Amino acid sequence: METSPLLVTRVMGIVNKIPLKRLQMKAQKDRDFELPKIIETKNLTKSFGDGDEVAVNSIDLYVPEGSIFGLIGPSGCGKTTTVRLMTGVYQPTEGEISVFGKRPAEFSTSDREKIGYLIQQFVMYPDLSVWENLNFAASFYGVSIFRNKRLNKLLDFVELSEHKNKISRFLSGGMNRRLSLAATLVHNPELLFLDEPTAGIDPILRVKFWDYFRQLQAEGHTLVVTTQYVGEAEYCDLVGVMYAGRVLTVNTPEELRRKAFGGEIVHIVTSERIEYIHRVHLEKLPFVKGNVAIINDNEIKVFVDDADSAIPQLIESCQEEGLDVQTIEKQIPSFDDVFVRIIEERGNHE
Amino acid sequence: MNRIFKSLIRIFSFPQKELAEILRQPRLILTLVLGPFLIILLFGLGYPDEGRSLRTTFVVNEQNPLAAQVEEFAKDLGPAIIYQGIKNDQEVALASLALSQTDMVVVVPDDPVAKIQNNEQAQFLIYHNEVDPFQIAYIRSVGNLYTSELNRRVLASLTKEGQESVSGLNENLSELNAVSSSVLVSPFSSEFHGLSEVQYTPVGFLSPAVIVLLLQHLSVTISALSIVREQRSGIMELFKVAPLKPLEALISKYLSYILFNALVAAVLSALVVWGIGVPMLGNWINYALVLLILLFTSLGAGFAISLISETEIQAVQYAMLLLLASIFFSGFFLDLRLLWEPMKAVAWSLPATYGIRMLQDVMLRGYPIPLLVFQGILAIGIVLFLINFFLLRKKMG
Repeated sequence: METSPLLVTRVMGIVNKIPLKRLQMKAQKDRDFELPKIIETKNLTKSFGDGDEVAVNSIDLYVPEGSIFGLIGPSGCGKTTTVRLMTGVYQPTEGEISVFGKRPAEFSTSDREKIGYLIQQFVMYPDLSVWENLNFAASFYGVSIFRNKRLNKLLDFVELSEHKNKISRFLSGGMNRRLSLAATLVHNPELLFLDEPTAGIDPILRVKFWDYFRQLQAEGHTLVVTTQYVGEAEYCDLVGVMYAGRVLTVNTPEELRRKAFGGEIVHIVTSERIEYIHRVHLEKLPFVKGNVAIINDNEIKVFVDDADSAIPQLIESCQEEGLDVQTIEKQIPSFDDVFVRIIEERGNHE
Repeated sequence: MNRIFKSLIRIFSFPQKELAEILRQPRLILTLVLGPFLIILLFGLGYPDEGRSLRTTFVVNEQNPLAAQVEEFAKDLGPAIIYQGIKNDQEVALASLALSQTDMVVVVPDDPVAKIQNNEQAQFLIYHNEVDPFQIAYIRSVGNLYTSELNRRVLASLTKEGQESVSGLNENLSELNAVSSSVLVSPFSSEFHGLSEVQYTPVGFLSPAVIVLLLQHLSVTISALSIVREQRSGIMELFKVAPLKPLEALISKYLSYILFNALVAAVLSALVVWGIGVPMLGNWINYALVLLILLFTSLGAGFAISLISETEIQAVQYAMLLLLASIFFSGFFLDLRLLWEPMKAVAWSLPATYGIRMLQDVMLRGYPIPLLVFQGILAIGIVLFLINFFLLRKKMG
């Protein structure tokens, strides 16, 4: 399916609005994180072969009940292995993991009924219709035989109602992904593991998926979502940044940004050329962190603790230096930049 | 109670799914149901209800006293011999044998009377160009029959001459004279009767074995592909996380394939009995029981294959090996009594061996199910079920 550039622009517009909305929800989220931990890992390690191929290396993290926890990182960094350890598909080589307060290997049938798992690839039966696949999933989860209403509701949500009699092999990739999601939700699980749910689907559907994830969260579900789309970190309450089998950091999206750049960023554009002396003056201000970054002769980036309080003082300082500030604004870096920065910092440390 | 209901829902999850998947493939259904029936039908049409007729060339010297009788004797043997004429030159006759223009060359001994008078046997030389041991045995049997018939005729002729020459010499011989020379030469004869009143054609006799073999192969193939396919597609990972227990999954899979294969078996049996007219002397309940236990055990073998195979190709190969072993060792192709004793263990490890034995008893003889054979296949089925359960439990973590 091709997406027009205009459509992408509109969608990205919606996406870019979300961080602000989420910042407003920060207080709510802080309260959420006081909730019990539904998943907790300590020194979680998984290696294959003779132990020389370490897929997951000493992971320590926790997932608060009712949160959306994102595991973000490039392909092959160990996200799927981590999810498999959490669901009990793999047993850890070292360390501990607790889900619902017990090791996944000890899950009872009722524990499993509380888990929904969306696998990375399409695993439904290609010769069955949408409805038959969904019905089969409901059966093996033991959903009551009076389930038609629920199945129809799910099909409505994933917008497959019109295609319920279509054979799965004739569905598009996005439709198959939606069918998989519906099958994952069929038994109304408490804890959802969604491995790359938005991989290979168009931006509109990605936004829809995240909308629904938030709906699920609002209903009290806990979601562990893996993605290689770094930008999707915006939608999560907590983000674990993974790289080469390690979790480099776990934090809220806002804190990740702050930590990656040592604070918040203020972008300044002036009419005059910004000289070395001007930059030194700004760097000496007590709320400015580190060096001022030069973009070009008239543009700089200043890192501060709190952009909102720093902006008036920065304007004042610039005027004292004889600089005419054309624009000054708080800059929210993209998560692609944040991610690269975190990786680079880890590289410098090591 | 809720837990039991949920478990039942999970157990019945696969039959519906499997049935829907199979019904969505009309060609597959056609192959599964009509394919085996067509094979039996074609076999019936192609396999004659009598022995092979051998095109036979005789090599006889023109002066040979038997020359005139060779053709008559040959024709008396009925359809077993197709008389292709007499040749004087043995080399020419053997050349046509090498070219497959004739199936058997019979070289009639020169001057047989002189040899017999010299107290020697006059020997017929019989040449063939067969490599198949069964065909060689058949040619030997036809040759022996021809020689016996010739011996009997010569003896009858000589006895008749003797009777004429001794008439009136002795009164005691008058009783002997009253007996026909042919009875004197062959005082005993035999007539064969089977316990079953029904005379079976080769198709009738082989039908139960064909049904068993086809159902075993269908069950093994369909179940051999089942789990390995799910493992390859990745859905097994979902089963590992889902509340579906290995025992529930296994029962569900057995149930779905038994239901479907029983349907195929019912249609196939109806076509064989009412379509081709193969007699069914036994009890239909016994018949159904035999097929059910055969399906259960064959599915067990298929699931075991599926659980040890890494790929679908590997699973199909194992299923084909099992079919090949069944053709040779189940009694389908060779009578089990002909097998070397230690090899009988191989034969009795195959579900088809039990199935053929039981179905022949039930269908062709009208007997009840042989209990020991039934217990044997049931034991194998249960052992396979347990093995499959442990293998699946290991796979599902």
